[in-house]
Amino acid sequence: MSAKKNITVSFELNGEKFDNVIVPARQHLADYLRGEGFTGTHLGCEQGACGACTIEMDGKAVRSCLVLASQVNGSLIKTVEGFDDDIMKIVKNNFLKHNAFQCGFCSPGMLMTTKEIVLKKKKLTREEIRSEISGNYCRCTGYQSIVDAIEESITEVI
Amino acid sequence: MKAPDFSYYEAETLSDAIKFKSQDDEAIILAGGQSLLPALNMRLSSPSCLIDISKLKDLNDIRLEDNSIYIGALATHTQVMESSIIIEKFPSLVSILKMVAHAAIRNKGTHGGSISYGDPAAELPAFAVAMNAEIIVSGLNGNRSIAAEDFYLGLFETDIKSDEILIGINYPLVKNNEKIVFEEICRRHGDYAMAGLIAKVKTYQSTIEKLKLVFFATGDRPNVTSKTSEIVVNNGYEYSVIKKSLSSEIDFAGDLNSSEEMKLHLATILISKILKKLEN
Repeated sequence: MSAKKNITVSFELNGEKFDNVIVPARQHLADYLRGEGFTGTHLGCEQGACGACTIEMDGKAVRSCLVLASQVNGSLIKTVEGFDDDIMKIVKNNFLKHNAFQCGFCSPGMLMTTKEIVLKKKKLTREEIRSEISGNYCRCTGYQSIVDAIEESITEVI
Repeated sequence: MKAPDFSYYEAETLSDAIKFKSQDDEAIILAGGQSLLPALNMRLSSPSCLIDISKLKDLNDIRLEDNSIYIGALATHTQVMESSIIIEKFPSLVSILKMVAHAAIRNKGTHGGSISYGDPAAELPAFAVAMNAEIIVSGLNGNRSIAAEDFYLGLFETDIKSDEILIGINYPLVKNNEKIVFEEICRRHGDYAMAGLIAKVKTYQSTIEKLKLVFFATGDRPNVTSKTSEIVVNNGYEYSVIKKSLSSEIDFAGDLNSSEEMKLHLATILISKILKKLEN
């Protein structure tokens, strides 16, 4: 195997198999996903600070702007369009209930981060929740209602 | 922004990666990519090729050895934080890692990546220096071990040669009479610190016998301040004395968040903060 500018990868995205897809070496995963129509993954800073592009890769939340599309060979990827599990249903309902979506730009990343927090099934103080979501910017500054939604989601799963 | 043009090579074995790197000076190793990809996206770096080692096996071991803890280069920050060995023997590392970026970044960012990237504002290089860790690299001529203090040569510059790849870090165990104390000042949780300090303290009947101070986000590399440590041990903390000593020992470099003068002030204050922590 040698170094290439175009890489062939196979992976699973939201339960659907993508086989032998050719991606440019320099393209990050968020750009690839958006190009394929998965525009629920948002791009803010492209340097890992804002959290809007957070997706699930092999069961873990990751920044899709900090993963290359060429690195996803063999991976299981889930974006906001594919979030259909029970935990995510609880999280989404609580975001709705507490009006935690607002403009919606940060929501896909917030949902993903929240899912990972909720999966730990550990009671957190509001202060601790704020530090857990410190990697996700909400420029509407709707943090109060986002923390409300996360707090209730945690209570619901414990 | 978007990353510049480069090619990509997924190494299947460590020796493949070493061979490839030795043949191309402009190629860069890609592990977790959580510092490298932002740098590429901001066009601060333009490698010819990324050698992806992230899928190599056996490089993410965390194990307890006779007098040390070994952390494989590819162990992610999350793996290190969740390792029962680290939680039991190295709780200070868990609390330090909580300050490294955010959960989604810690899921991908690797221990060895952070150590070898050599960002002077990062916590782990300073931690390795404070702990007198041994950094193990592998190259065409086999493995080599480098003392952490000799490893950092300048801004993002390390002693890794063009045919070498960092494979693991060996940390001596913390003894019963030793403590690791950590403090940093930053604008937002998870951001790079404006200034930070990791101290290794040896105590005897609750007095400080020996003190090693390692600052980060202050200069071009982790800064060890042995003269200032001596002053603190012998005379205690006096703001103006400590400030003067630090200014002679560290070549402070300002950044977007804080000027040199500000960093000097914060570094001085950090010493009083760790001393307070030790009292409690």
